Amino acid sequence: MSARDNILNRVRDAVRTKAPRPPEPSAAPIWPPMGEAEARFREEFTALRGEIVESLPEFLAGFAKIATDKSELAGSGNVPVREADLGVTSCVCLVAQTGSIVVACRSAEERALSALPPVHLVVARRSQIVLDLEAAIGVLRKQYGGGFPSLISVISGPSRTADIEKVLVLGAHGPKRLAVHFINK
Amino acid sequence: MNTNALQFRRATEAKAFDLDHRAIVVKNTNTYHAAVARGIARFADWETARCRAAAVKWEVMNHLDRYLEEFERNVQAKGGHVHWAETGAEASQIAVSLAKQHGVRKVVKSKSMVTEEIHLNPALEAAGVTVLETDLGEYICQLRGEPPYHIVTPVMHLNRAQIAKTFNEKFGTSLDATAEQLAGIAREKLRAEFLSADMGISGGNFAVADTGMIGLCTNEGNARLTTALPRVHVAIVGIEKLVPKLEDLALFWPLLATRGTGQFLTVYNTLIGGSENFHVILLDNGRTKLLADAEQRDALHCIRCGACLNACPVYKAVGGHSYGTTYQGPIGSMITPHLRGWQDWSHLSYASSLCGNCADICSVHIPIHHHLLHNRRNSVRQHCDPLIQRLMFRVWLWGVQSASLYALGGKMARLAIWLGIAQPLARAWTKRRDLPEPPRQAFRDWWRNNERA
Repeated sequence: MSARDNILNRVRDAVRTKAPRPPEPSAAPIWPPMGEAEARFREEFTALRGEIVESLPEFLAGFAKIATDKSELAGSGNVPVREADLGVTSCVCLVAQTGSIVVACRSAEERALSALPPVHLVVARRSQIVLDLEAAIGVLRKQYGGGFPSLISVISGPSRTADIEKVLVLGAHGPKRLAVHFINK
Repeated sequence: MNTNALQFRRATEAKAFDLDHRAIVVKNTNTYHAAVARGIARFADWETARCRAAAVKWEVMNHLDRYLEEFERNVQAKGGHVHWAETGAEASQIAVSLAKQHGVRKVVKSKSMVTEEIHLNPALEAAGVTVLETDLGEYICQLRGEPPYHIVTPVMHLNRAQIAKTFNEKFGTSLDATAEQLAGIAREKLRAEFLSADMGISGGNFAVADTGMIGLCTNEGNARLTTALPRVHVAIVGIEKLVPKLEDLALFWPLLATRGTGQFLTVYNTLIGGSENFHVILLDNGRTKLLADAEQRDALHCIRCGACLNACPVYKAVGGHSYGTTYQGPIGSMITPHLRGWQDWSHLSYASSLCGNCADICSVHIPIHHHLLHNRRNSVRQHCDPLIQRLMFRVWLWGVQSASLYALGGKMARLAIWLGIAQPLARAWTKRRDLPEPPRQAFRDWWRNNERA
């Protein structure tokens, strides 16, 4: 008998007796009303120390080494991700409720883009903002069906740690700055 | 008393009177409680949220075989690999052989309590593999050669100065380094390790059955780098970590973050799965024993938010290291006898004031303090209680069953206190506490004299 069979057999034996069922939860809404999507996104995102970039050329002028996911929105960069001081990506959607950006990647290169360079810029359309996490998962389902990419990440602000005396420090291992630029088309 | 119980008694005795320790822990937990209060305020109905989470976990745990098989099927369908381990040693062995198979010399790890549970690092090191913890708190633990003090905040017991001293001893950095500078040093040191590591090892906060992906929740981004940069990713996940579907995370992500740190979401809520070099090790290591106990099965609903540790007056007084376990605090005290044996660990069932704070704040509604009582009952049934205790309860039982013996006992106790010999007789109690002043008259005497009035 393999470890797999042993474990599954023990599990089957165990759950033959059901544990007492917990009381049925109420149908009350868990979340307060979200408000208007874009306004809520801006509020939550900036509260998490995310930056909204109004002028893209001005922002990009601050970086010499740029890597991108080569998507239509992010354009093309000039260095590989390991050398970049800015990673530019598109995203699946943005979540108003939590001020989050949802990225999905298939390749190792792409996976590193939103995690390795010290600054991460997301270029998005306003229409990509969804109201809450549930809606964001709905977008993922619709976009990928059963074939989910190898990494999906819901990113809420720049990397941080509060391990030392609960003092907030930005830029633990991931990007120290996270920015979003909305394009007008 | 067994050696673990003795060790626990000694460690708690020392920690409970360490005022520096208390000051640090109180400061950290107060900051935490304030943040959590703000986090809970973002929910319209926290109670419903945790009831729903409990219902989801009940469904999983009571049909766990089905969800495990579904998860396995979906990981494999996407090209990943699933391994099963009955014990911690088996899981470590699988990780070591994967490392050998892929010619791995260096492993980077993101924070994972389950790898602490199975003692993975020593196993890898014995096989000649260098292992680096990358979560800042875990990195500090590794530098100090200490186990994590807390399942969520591994160095909650240290202040900035102590951490700066550790860095100073290891790297010669300034003793006055700020939290920001210390995090910067770790970032710089570990950046090179991420880029040169051959294998990344993580745990898993969630295993999503319907997509065959594992969910990792971190703030630092170290799990992102651990899983993105090295050639091979191994995730070690307890079999209780399953959730049925992706949509469940819209509830569990905020729940975990809110009770874990007071954030609405941790910075990176990441789902990983579906590549050739992705391996999941599903670990039992005693979990099926707890599963077999229908009365206490819901202890497996735990999502390890760490809230019950921060809420527990005993944890705050005795500190995380005193327990001598991977999982500390109320939930650790409750599950450890199941996972690691009643003879050695049932003493932890008494490390509780039964105030119920742990159950009140539990993200998934586990009645932890009731389970600690169940544990006490079960350990007595299995004769895990010390012989002297069993004898004393026999005597007590005998005494309270007879009115005259009970009255005699009261008289003797009163006499002993008046004579001043109770103090030394009850030293275990009187060492740290005063004996109560006995009333002049026993109630039964008062009643006899006043009954007719």
